[in-house]
Amino acid sequence: MAKAFKPQVVTANDLIEGDSVFLARSGWVRDIAEARVARTAEEADLLLEAGVVAEAENTVVGPYLVEVGLETGAPVPLLRRERIRAEGGPTFAYAPEGIARAA
Amino acid sequence: MRIIDATGPIDDLWPRIGAGEPLPEAGRALVERDRLGEALASGLELGLHLPPDTEPADIEPHFGRLAMISVGFPSFADGRGFSIGRSLRQRGFLGRLRASGPVIADQFAYLLECGFDEVAIPEEVARRQPPESWLSQSAAITFGYQRGIAGRGSILDQRRARHD
Amino acid sequence: MYRYDEFDAAFVAERTQQFRTQVKRRLAGELTEAEFKPLRLMNGVYLQLHAYMLRIAIPYGTLRPDQMRMLAHIAERWDRGYGHFTTRQNIQFNWPKLKDVPDILDALASVEMHAIQTSGNCIRNTTSDPYAGVAPEEIEDPRITAELIRQWSSLHPEFTFLGRKFKIAVTGSEHDRAAIKIHDIGIQIVRGPDGAPGYRVLVGGGLGRSPFIAKELRGFLPKADLLPYLEAALRVYNLHGRRDNKYKARIKILVHELGIEEYARQVEAEFARMDRAAVAAPAEEVARIAAYFALPELPARDTEADAAETRRMAAMEPEFAAWLEQNTAPHRVPGYRAVTVSLKPIGGAPGDATAEQMRVMADVAEHHSAGELRITHEQNVVLPHVAEGALFKVWRALRAEGLDTANKGLVTDIIACPGLDYCALATARSIPVAQDIANRFAEPRRQREIGPLSIKISGCINACGHHHVGHIGILGIDKAGVESYQITLGGDATETASLGDRTGPGFGYDEVPGVIERVVDTYIALREPGETFLAAYRRLGMAPFKEALYADH
Repeated sequence: MAKAFKPQVVTANDLIEGDSVFLARSGWVRDIAEARVARTAEEADLLLEAGVVAEAENTVVGPYLVEVGLETGAPVPLLRRERIRAEGGPTFAYAPEGIARAA
Repeated sequence: MRIIDATGPIDDLWPRIGAGEPLPEAGRALVERDRLGEALASGLELGLHLPPDTEPADIEPHFGRLAMISVGFPSFADGRGFSIGRSLRQRGFLGRLRASGPVIADQFAYLLECGFDEVAIPEEVARRQPPESWLSQSAAITFGYQRGIAGRGSILDQRRARHD
Repeated sequence: MYRYDEFDAAFVAERTQQFRTQVKRRLAGELTEAEFKPLRLMNGVYLQLHAYMLRIAIPYGTLRPDQMRMLAHIAERWDRGYGHFTTRQNIQFNWPKLKDVPDILDALASVEMHAIQTSGNCIRNTTSDPYAGVAPEEIEDPRITAELIRQWSSLHPEFTFLGRKFKIAVTGSEHDRAAIKIHDIGIQIVRGPDGAPGYRVLVGGGLGRSPFIAKELRGFLPKADLLPYLEAALRVYNLHGRRDNKYKARIKILVHELGIEEYARQVEAEFARMDRAAVAAPAEEVARIAAYFALPELPARDTEADAAETRRMAAMEPEFAAWLEQNTAPHRVPGYRAVTVSLKPIGGAPGDATAEQMRVMADVAEHHSAGELRITHEQNVVLPHVAEGALFKVWRALRAEGLDTANKGLVTDIIACPGLDYCALATARSIPVAQDIANRFAEPRRQREIGPLSIKISGCINACGHHHVGHIGILGIDKAGVESYQITLGGDATETASLGDRTGPGFGYDEVPGVIERVVDTYIALREPGETFLAAYRRLGMAPFKEALYADH
């Protein structure tokens, strides 16, 4: 039996900046809350295709699909790795503030 | 396929003989490794294409009959051919040496340093990477640290010259 | 310390310019991502979980104050105000933009630094002993050899597209602080039959998914033969190493599959055949490099007065006394010590330092350590030449920036890879695990009571956190979407190297600090007087630890 489809968004990294980005209606955005959500396998294929085109056009790097839950309204990745990535930074206090606190 | 050497694009002078194709009557032919015996018996001016798992020592006995050797690079990331080229030169091969496959302009300097004379690249690579890129990349680093390889000046020798 | 001459400077400048062109060609589409990726990696640029990451080479871990200040400047100008010192004696920045990287490389070149070959399937930054030139028992400063290798391996035409990465480490002491037995090639400076220094060459060590301790390739190699011999070893690897599976492409697999005798036979045959003189560095070049590594002029001190003053301050300041005991090591010059600046504050991210901390370390090194700093593979910083009489001053300056943690070699001096918080390859978090363990063992007296204990944490099977050779190793994996941590015991990265043994099934993220505590308590209960954790494990074996961990499971 085929695995039940889970909603998905397309993510990649911005070629020039490197940031994690998500495909939205208006192009690529930093905030996953604005990402377009595919609710069927066909929609997911189309979204990924748009990502592949953007990569060929040298806008983004490495597009792929991420499974998300929609319980809170906004898409939240199911995998921890993707949640950390969507958060945009480590799960602990980092940078000078975090380092100074530890010290 | 496009051929580029240190002067820029050049004509392909080596017709490659496909599997099952008969050898030509005369002139030049670039043959696969498994046709070597047959080719050696002919009077042709010979080029030999080598797959990347070739042991360079095995080719040494035939150097006298080979005017050209083509070393296969299945991808630009598979760098076995650099050592094959270098070994062939160290073992005394003096003919034309070609790197065949989707190598990239950024590797041209390394290929020349390992003793290659030319590259034979697929059209797709040639389309994106114009001859100017090959020439400019080959000149990007004036002096390297290594010695005992081809043309490029060595920093070690430059330092020695300064001391003398 | 080595200084660039005009040739080194021109080389790095051209390489930097070349990378600038490569970025331009990538953005223009002349290079595809597949083609650009190995090129950027060879210049230290990764694409990580959140952003690009730039890894900068700190050859054999040696750094000048002006270079450290440049790293601070880069952290503030192009990153987020901090950097991460790695297990390979390098530094990496986690947030640079691709478009800024050429400017960063220009800035580095201005202080004789670069990011050449800090990643990619090429010969990586050669690592060494952080006490090089300082350790009393050392035969010869290993950095002379490491610098020779750095130059020889830089953009080596033949070895820049190897089957896999290639790491070389050099030690000049019998006591191995450079972990040479877990490197692709490990080099130990030894004395030959006539007493002259030469090399013992090891090959095929490495961690990752198939860990191996290196085997001896050559018991004694005359010094002049170093580069030709390395060239022969690399050529055999490049021609015959596996290309069909990236997990079997390291030289350790070739050596394992051929057997060390057959690999050695092939290397010796190539070495005998090749034009060695063309590859070897001329003697005057070796002498030129060696001169840079002469021991710096260390002013003669009134060692008795210095020692008395230090004792007096230690008596007044117990925390200083603890730091003195734990974080300073003997120097070959009487009256001097090598100081370890711990980048392992309790609850911090191992190896992270802020720009401000970098500047303080640079200042202290300038005034009190003959202008030298070292990065260690334990992710700490060493000030190699501190006069005993200056130790209290140094401690106070470090303390002001939170750099005075007195835990070198103790349970909270944890090595950890960046893990799932930063790394695109990771399968589990490692830094927060290190933080939780450090918090659990925060009490300084308890740490000292436990004694020497190295905990090493990797967030995936690639083992950047060297977990196989931690006295206690922790490997984080993903088990059906849940982080699971496997524990190994008895690993060792020194001259008595060994790979740790797995205790059994893994543990959940929240369980790890408790598990480590049970291991440590078991050791404390069973140890003989003065017996270290490693010695006790080697005597006791796994059984009592297994019992303590799994009896109630």
